[in-house]
Amino acid sequence: MTLRDLVLVRLGVAINLVIGQIVVALLLPIYLDSVGTILVAALVGPRAAITAGLVSQVLSAVISGNFSWLPFAVVQIVIALYASVVARLGAFRRLWTAVAAGIGLGLVAASCSAPISYFLFGGVTAGGVTVVTTVLRALGAPLGVAVASASYATDLLDKAIACGLVCVILRGLPRTLAARFPVLAR
Amino acid sequence: MIGYVTGRSPLHRAHPYTTLALAGAVLLAAFAMTEPRTVWLLVLAAAALAAVGGVLRSSVRTALLLSLPIWALLFVLYALLGADPRVAFGPLSLSSPGIARALVLGGRVTAIVLSFLTALATTSPHRLVEAMTARGVPFGRTFLLASTLTILPRMRERAAQILEAQQCRGLRLGGSVLARLRALGPLALPLILGALAEVDEQVLALDVRGAAAGARRTAVDPPPDSQIQRALRWSLLLLVTAAYAWKFWSMRG
Repeated sequence: MTLRDLVLVRLGVAINLVIGQIVVALLLPIYLDSVGTILVAALVGPRAAITAGLVSQVLSAVISGNFSWLPFAVVQIVIALYASVVARLGAFRRLWTAVAAGIGLGLVAASCSAPISYFLFGGVTAGGVTVVTTVLRALGAPLGVAVASASYATDLLDKAIACGLVCVILRGLPRTLAARFPVLAR
Repeated sequence: MIGYVTGRSPLHRAHPYTTLALAGAVLLAAFAMTEPRTVWLLVLAAAALAAVGGVLRSSVRTALLLSLPIWALLFVLYALLGADPRVAFGPLSLSSPGIARALVLGGRVTAIVLSFLTALATTSPHRLVEAMTARGVPFGRTFLLASTLTILPRMRERAAQILEAQQCRGLRLGGSVLARLRALGPLALPLILGALAEVDEQVLALDVRGAAAGARRTAVDPPPDSQIQRALRWSLLLLVTAAYAWKFWSMRG
């Protein structure tokens, strides 16, 4: 990894951890905790993005004190790989393609996080998702279905918005700055 | 309280890798345990670890605060909405298998949180960086772990300043979900674009410090390691492997 990659990874991690502050201020029902990972994937590539995702997961545990969510680090790896592929395919050039790629990412991420949530934690993880799971369970849905439905519903919205935001960031980059990222130029 | 607490306990004096290995072993072992009794033995082991580190009271209090919402959700999802047979508990009718499952899941989270809070409270970040440097861990990895924590407060402060500035310009944070979603751009974009514009400056600063040289760095004050601690770390690995072997063997049986 070059020094530039290293600095970008650090920036990606900081974005992952700080953007939540804005989301909380706006009282939005999403997390946006992977915007930094997706941005690093689009600017540099998969290796740096995977590092950003994993470091974010560890530091988020260090800051919050809740280390039980460390197994979800796998989801960050999947997000990094997927985002790198769609970035190379040019998904972040237009807003609608970015949002479509985000919906795909939501499906992929939920397919990874739902089994972890179900098998390791019995479906009880972060507050918002578990509240949806509990409501669905109270309505009579089997636990597996309730966990999967809650994961897909939250991840589809979250990742579509995250990818849309990354597209707007990339389009907002000054040309002189954008020219410094070869992956972006492709 | 979450973070390092100065002290002179055996855990404070241990090599940082040993303390982290103990917490890591609890994390891995927790997912191998499927019976309430074994999971709660692990919770007791994590509490014993906190007692050895001299941080029992603070770690248990924080662990309980952090796992309380999870316990509440587990109670609703498993004890109240769980399958039959049911047992009467005062005015409530609770699921018997649901209670057992909630005890396993809640115990897991409590054990993991407690052990890592203890590791955080007894592992000095400076000693950890020194230990990593002494083991030849590349500069990039130590830099990422240590320096990201230092830029976080700066980014948080900048996010708060942008929030105030945009509110002064008339940005409304309330309204419908769509209106709040629209406000996301004016708040997140200046923060991220501003940080991206500083990347080159930071690369230069690191280059000047010789970060790109790739040479192995010398630790100034590496924490001492011992044969006993190395043996303990290997034993933990063997114990975790044995726990998983037992889990899969009993599943087949």
